[in-house]
Amino acid sequence: MKHKYLIILVIALSIIAGCITEFIPETDEATNLLVVEGVITDQYRTNMIKVSRSLPLGKFVSPKPLKGCQVTITDENNIVYTLKESPTGTYRTDSTRFCGHIGGKYTLKIVTGNLTYVSSPMEMVPVPPVDSLFYEKVVIIEENEYGRPEEGCKIYLNTYDPEQKCLFYRWEFTETWEFRLPFAVPNAVCWITKPSQEIFIRNTSIYDQSRVTKLPLIYITNETDRLKAIYSLLVKQYSMTQDEYNYWEKLQNVSQNVGGLYDVTPMTISSNIRNLNDPDELILGYFSVSAVSEKRLFIKDKFQGVPNFYYNCPGDTVFGGSFVHIEGLGSYVWVIEDNTGSISNPFRVVTYSKECADCTTRGTTTRPSYWIE
Amino acid sequence: MKVKYLIFGLLAMAISAMAGAQERYPVKWDYKGQSFTEFVSKCEVSFPVRFFYNEEWIRDYKLGDYEGELTVTDILDSLFLGKSMYYYADDHQNIVITKGFAIKKSEKAAAEQEKYIPGNDYTGTSEENKIAGNVVVDIGNPSDKNKPGNVVISGYITNTDTHEAIAGATVFIPRLSAGTISNEYGFYNLTVPRGSYSLRYSFIGMKERVVDINLYGAGELNIEMKSTLVPLKETVISADKNVTLQRFEVGVERINITSFRLMPTAMGESDIIKSILLIPGVQSVGEGSAGFNVRGGSADQNLILLYSAPVYNSSHFFGFFSAVNSDIIKDVTLYKGGIPSRYGGRLSSVLDIIPREGNKREFIGNAGISPITTHVVVEGPIKKDTISYILAGRTTYSNWIFGLIENPALRNSMASFYDINARVAYDIDKKNKADLSAYHSHDAFRFNSDTTYKYENNIVTLRWRHFFSSRFFSGISLNNSSYKYDISSERVPQESFILSHKINSTNLKADLNWYPGSRNEINFGADLSRYEVLPGSFVPKGDSSIVQSDVIARQRALEPALYIEDKFIVTDYLSVNAGLRLSSYFAFGPQSILIYDPSYTKSVSSVIDTLNFGKLDNYKTYAGPEFRLSANLRLNDNSSFKVNYNRTRQYLHLLSNTISISPSDTWKLSDYNLKPQVGDQFAAGYYRMLNKNKIEASAEIYFKEIKNLVDFKGGTDLIMNTNIERDLVNVEGKAYGVEFLLKKPEGRLRWSVGYTYSRTLIKSTSSFSEERINGGKWFPANYDKPHDLILTLNYLYSRRISFSANYTYSSGRPVTYPVASYKIGDIVLTHYSERNEYRLPYYSRLDLSLKLSGNLKSKKIAHPHWIFSLYNALGRENVYSVYFKNEKNVIKGYMLSVFGRPIPSVSFNFDF
Repeated sequence: MKHKYLIILVIALSIIAGCITEFIPETDEATNLLVVEGVITDQYRTNMIKVSRSLPLGKFVSPKPLKGCQVTITDENNIVYTLKESPTGTYRTDSTRFCGHIGGKYTLKIVTGNLTYVSSPMEMVPVPPVDSLFYEKVVIIEENEYGRPEEGCKIYLNTYDPEQKCLFYRWEFTETWEFRLPFAVPNAVCWITKPSQEIFIRNTSIYDQSRVTKLPLIYITNETDRLKAIYSLLVKQYSMTQDEYNYWEKLQNVSQNVGGLYDVTPMTISSNIRNLNDPDELILGYFSVSAVSEKRLFIKDKFQGVPNFYYNCPGDTVFGGSFVHIEGLGSYVWVIEDNTGSISNPFRVVTYSKECADCTTRGTTTRPSYWIE
Repeated sequence: MKVKYLIFGLLAMAISAMAGAQERYPVKWDYKGQSFTEFVSKCEVSFPVRFFYNEEWIRDYKLGDYEGELTVTDILDSLFLGKSMYYYADDHQNIVITKGFAIKKSEKAAAEQEKYIPGNDYTGTSEENKIAGNVVVDIGNPSDKNKPGNVVISGYITNTDTHEAIAGATVFIPRLSAGTISNEYGFYNLTVPRGSYSLRYSFIGMKERVVDINLYGAGELNIEMKSTLVPLKETVISADKNVTLQRFEVGVERINITSFRLMPTAMGESDIIKSILLIPGVQSVGEGSAGFNVRGGSADQNLILLYSAPVYNSSHFFGFFSAVNSDIIKDVTLYKGGIPSRYGGRLSSVLDIIPREGNKREFIGNAGISPITTHVVVEGPIKKDTISYILAGRTTYSNWIFGLIENPALRNSMASFYDINARVAYDIDKKNKADLSAYHSHDAFRFNSDTTYKYENNIVTLRWRHFFSSRFFSGISLNNSSYKYDISSERVPQESFILSHKINSTNLKADLNWYPGSRNEINFGADLSRYEVLPGSFVPKGDSSIVQSDVIARQRALEPALYIEDKFIVTDYLSVNAGLRLSSYFAFGPQSILIYDPSYTKSVSSVIDTLNFGKLDNYKTYAGPEFRLSANLRLNDNSSFKVNYNRTRQYLHLLSNTISISPSDTWKLSDYNLKPQVGDQFAAGYYRMLNKNKIEASAEIYFKEIKNLVDFKGGTDLIMNTNIERDLVNVEGKAYGVEFLLKKPEGRLRWSVGYTYSRTLIKSTSSFSEERINGGKWFPANYDKPHDLILTLNYLYSRRISFSANYTYSSGRPVTYPVASYKIGDIVLTHYSERNEYRLPYYSRLDLSLKLSGNLKSKKIAHPHWIFSLYNALGRENVYSVYFKNEKNVIKGYMLSVFGRPIPSVSFNFDF
């Protein structure tokens, strides 16, 4: 029930009458706040707590890790687990020794210098498996006299907890897709992996069932080549307490619902972590304790009108020679394709930009272990 | 009495319209060096004349040496030359000496009839009372002429054409610099010494009337006035503009419909709220914001009354239009301070919209069309002079705008509104009047055929006014007002829902007006409101929806109040208005209430008890007196000083965590955890007439304290929030400011300059750190705009062409900027500064408009007029709001301006 639609509508009105201009606010020197993030799960795997400092505005946001903290997690039986720093600013649990359990209450403690930060005790709530992950084709441009149709794809999630124990959900997803260069060069097939950058949460306590139906996760438009070959989406479903849900909801409100006439007044969002020495110190981030379940979706369907990013790779033909790979000549790379199959056939010499010749400019050649053909 | 008047003999000249020939009495004796008194005695002995004058005026007068043989009048001429002393010699050998004004026989043509209606006949239809030519009216028994002391003159002022009462008309006696303003029944009441006076009756948009009277005793004078929508010729008004000086209250503004019709418009519609924003001390957060802020008050602290009932949402179309159609408005009074004790329930201001009654004599109408809206109003008698009706409607066809947008999602969107006003007024007899009024407004908008928003206001009012006597009036009104919105979505059948919110109030009000004696006006009455609020209901839509119905328990309450006020004239120079309102509030069950441990901030874990109350159980009571005091000290004939103190209490709160009011904000009644807001305002003002009373100048200063304001912890969703108290933060507010206004309200060229310096600050009072906004320090409110300059200009070039311009400058409103960015997982987030630590750039806007009327032949069937407007003529991109977006892991800031370029519009109206 956000004002989102209203906001977009009003922006639309202002497109006719109003306008939007970019600016950089003149603010005092940026505050340098402690940022803590991390999640403890119910699985034997490495759980990470990242401790860093915030950055001033208008700069590329990359974490500024804080090294040399003593980070521990205490459970409801006062058993203390110490986390090891690796790499700088990231503190890890031992994947063989530590695993949260349902109903457990965990407290995070960070000691840096003479300051001690402590979280409130967080309870682990069970999470059901993801019920289903599915997609629907979307016709973006219908077939007409000027060209072929263009299609996109919307991916949705359903979930259901018959025991109705998990009332608050949070999701993260990771997209992976395969793409191929049009030529048989050594680095012709690559994979790209991208994490989600939005907050997906749902409160099912307002329904009579803990059921989420057709939660829209992502809309793949006709502006990307994600759907050219094989596309895969991995969703992680986390359980949350109401407190944590409130935190994410506020975060969502101030980070996403912006730009309209009815802006929510932005506010400082309180963390579940406190500085014991100075309770008024502002700390960013949240220490999450969640059970987690995962589901992966593959899309191998054919979609119409997926753009070919490589149609602008012109070629020429020469004879003779063998496989060579010469870099240089300005910004261009010369690739000579060795058509060894038949000696009589001509060798094709092509001049390409690097993107046309080497898929690692966009992705990685390492085939994901779970990949299918 | 400081001045002893010796005026009695004017009875003789009454009604004798013929100017008799002056008899000349040549003065034969040696008058040189004689005192005036000696001269008078000698004259009265020598000639059959009688003099009437005040001893004080002529005490020091000695006669000089004048050349030639002179008559008595010649000597008086020479003696009084340049001394603002005048005399008047009638046909009966009476010579009346006056100071400060001259009695002159009117040269007006007999055709220009003036009407005089004797006491007790306020319908004014008796033909025998019409007297041609200049009228001198006797009031009271002439034999009382020598009696000392003051007497009361009172009466009703009505509109000749429509027979509606004229409220707010000025009655002024230049000679005494005394005046008053008619009340809502058109009744006026003036206490003056016996004597002969000219009474001037004026009202903006009405032709001024002057009636000469001989006042021997208390009596009534009922007046009809004619409207001059387009001033045919400028009325020349000299001394009667200083009624501002006479008013009791500080900070009361009346806006007349004719003047605001000339105002430039944004989308071709005259707008009452926009015209209110031109008053010093009234601000808004920006264009397209629904509410307005009066002297540092939040938008929900304004009581907007239509047909005596509160209007809960005052805007259409995201705030670009007022919800009340200006066609039905007679005039509007804004009380930004000095709120009379008959109004209650809101802290900062009262905007009393006085609607028209409908023409009782003939059928008339008006229709208009502009690029976005169209409106029509018709009115006329059902039974001539007895029953009248008025019916007005307005609608929009704004959907074409969406058709222009290329984005397919927006092309499927729509937005529309309409409103309807209807009223039937019935003058049952001379002592009883009744009317029935209804109002309905509706807004709907839909984004991409997905989520539909609808909201509507409904008001029905039945009012009965009874006049016990010419000194005792009563008005009883029963009204019901409601506001509701529905948000529905059908995107996914399983999750289709309807979300609604509703507030309904029924109010019974009795107002009594009593004029005992000559120095008091006593108003008293009772007010009873019943509220029912549905905080939110979230129900499935359609059969396949699995949405669980969630209905937050309704809130019910009664708000009874009693009030009394006395407008008391202490001396000629000091008047006092003392009022008291006893307001109380009773919250009723059924309701279950969570009790929180006071040593912790309110949250799920700090609940220690639940109290359940059954139907009609009174679970919380608040009550308190509200004192309303004003004093007006007249310093001299053209300046006055006023002071005012006001306490107000408010039990109804609008929960809004957005910058301006949005239609989906919810109303909430005070309850266990939410205390009523209490405001105290101290104000003082100095008023002065400049440049021969053509220019009004005023300076007002105020200080205000508000307790129990509501703010929010942060980023909370307030809709469907069952335990809203957990997200509320108690704050207190203070506001102070000084307002200057220079105004020339009459003439062909009218202008005003208003400047305000004001601050509005808020402080959270909680002891819990998570509830302390900005660490418990004072911080500026969202609508704190220290500097505010407003210039208006109106030039009536001719009867058919008028031009107007408005210019507004104000400081930018406070804003919270992001100061740091960080990452949680792969989500880039921003951290904001302290609340309202920074400010937007300043706001500046110039609007122009030109009104062209068709020819004014009265026989023409329709009178057309065109209004051409240019909104934001400077094209300044005034920043409404800023927002920040993550673009490839760089947080970028954007400024949004709503009307970032000049917006021309044209509207066509015609009267029929």
